[in-house]
Amino acid sequence: MDGACLELSGNNVAKELPARADDRTLVERAQAGDRAAFDALVRMYDRDVLKLALRMVGSEEEAADLHQEVFLKVYRSLVRFRFQSSFSTWLYRVVTNVCLDHLRRQKRRMEVQSPVVDEDGKTEFFQTVAEERGALDPERTLQAKEIDLRLSSALEALSPRERMVFELRHYEGLKLRAIGAMCGTTEETAKNCLFRATKKLRLALGDLI
Amino acid sequence: MNCQDCEDKLTLYLYGELTPAEGQAVESHTATCAECGKVLAQLRELHNALGRRVISDVSPELLVRSHLKLEDAIDSEHLGWRRLVADWIPMLPGVRASGVAATAVFLMAGFTVGWLARPHAGKAPPTQVTPSISARAGSLVSPDIGRISSISQILPDPGTNQVQITLNAEHHVTLQGSLDDPRIRQILVDAVKSYDNAGIRLDTLSALRQTASDPSVQDALLYALRRDPNAGVRLQALRCVRGINWSSKVQAALIESARQDKNPGVRVAAVDALVAHALSAQEVSLIPVLQSFAKNDPNNYVRIKALAALHDFAQTGDWK
Repeated sequence: MDGACLELSGNNVAKELPARADDRTLVERAQAGDRAAFDALVRMYDRDVLKLALRMVGSEEEAADLHQEVFLKVYRSLVRFRFQSSFSTWLYRVVTNVCLDHLRRQKRRMEVQSPVVDEDGKTEFFQTVAEERGALDPERTLQAKEIDLRLSSALEALSPRERMVFELRHYEGLKLRAIGAMCGTTEETAKNCLFRATKKLRLALGDLI
Repeated sequence: MNCQDCEDKLTLYLYGELTPAEGQAVESHTATCAECGKVLAQLRELHNALGRRVISDVSPELLVRSHLKLEDAIDSEHLGWRRLVADWIPMLPGVRASGVAATAVFLMAGFTVGWLARPHAGKAPPTQVTPSISARAGSLVSPDIGRISSISQILPDPGTNQVQITLNAEHHVTLQGSLDDPRIRQILVDAVKSYDNAGIRLDTLSALRQTASDPSVQDALLYALRRDPNAGVRLQALRCVRGINWSSKVQAALIESARQDKNPGVRVAAVDALVAHALSAQEVSLIPVLQSFAKNDPNNYVRIKALAALHDFAQTGDWK
């Protein structure tokens, strides 16, 4: 999996993990204690890591926390990396593990929190929608927000692993083979996760489509 | 292809994950089967709907903020106990493991052969795999250790003022040295303040207790008493603090613990320490504190203890 490789598959642009040619040199220098080389590795991948984290957690603050956790783990264990996979595969495995742990913690927290309900026992929609200032068309903004909320809720209802596979395939456009490698599992398991995730989303969002 | 096979493959078809032959089979089936064609149309709609999800892009501010946060975290790793050990043993990064994790023994300044030679009751002695071990004060002896990831054990020896620190590095590493060595002390002080394993912090406090006269050690003990998240560690820190010379810092930390600690055991122990000092040193500045405990504290033991101390004070005649 070393070397950059983008693949066109059907009408979808699906890609392998974006390994960079100069990863190996930088990793070896970073393993030898070269902080500048480690920083260069961080800068090479940090936008992708942040983007994925942001997608998974939704808040910039939490995404920055996950970014820090990921690269600290990489920093601490880089010396044990033996190039048995590409650096990017190894890095994304750390990213998926950190994100999965975060999602699991988040799910546990959500299970113990009661939803906000009004006096009639209905969920208070407006309390869950952040105020949007300066919108030109408040009605349309609210509709878009409602749809977005529905989509986000449906994604949050997936299991952490289904969510991860779905996000990586649907939004990041990664091939299931690459996703399997990132998650430390097989392509077949990734396929099953994607299948289950799509089925659940179809059920949850049936009235939107 | 039947409808069930088709439905199973539709998701993968949409994502371009089927072979060309499988893709063609799906297309042929959906072209002739109205039901499967409908499901495919629904899935396409679902794709479009999910595409409408609003996702913020990574802003330059977020990128910069994340960089700074990471740099701070890495810098603090460098300033923490790992860096201290790494600086001490000047070849950590980049060293490759050779074979299964093993134990190397480093002999540091203050090392005594007698300590090593003495029997380790109930403990297996560290495995020595590096034949080139030699005892040179303050210098690194084995070349194979790798980056340090955590501390696995801290073992003080109360009789000799020696401490043994076992590290999980790429190889298992044991450092042995005297608590008189400021580098050993600094590693322990850092471990107390920043290490994430409560058991190790507890052992570290036990080791530091023997050298509690050092100001940096006192700071670490007071830090642990005030801030450690684990009540057992705070209690141990309190025991150590009781052994050091009384000062306004010690008094303030004990009062804070007695008033605010979430754990009743720690609060009671802090009150005991304050009362003991108040009575033995006739510390009148503590009287208002004891009065406040006697009047307001929700804990019966604390109120009674404070009242008894106030009574004893009154008996001595120094206070009315």
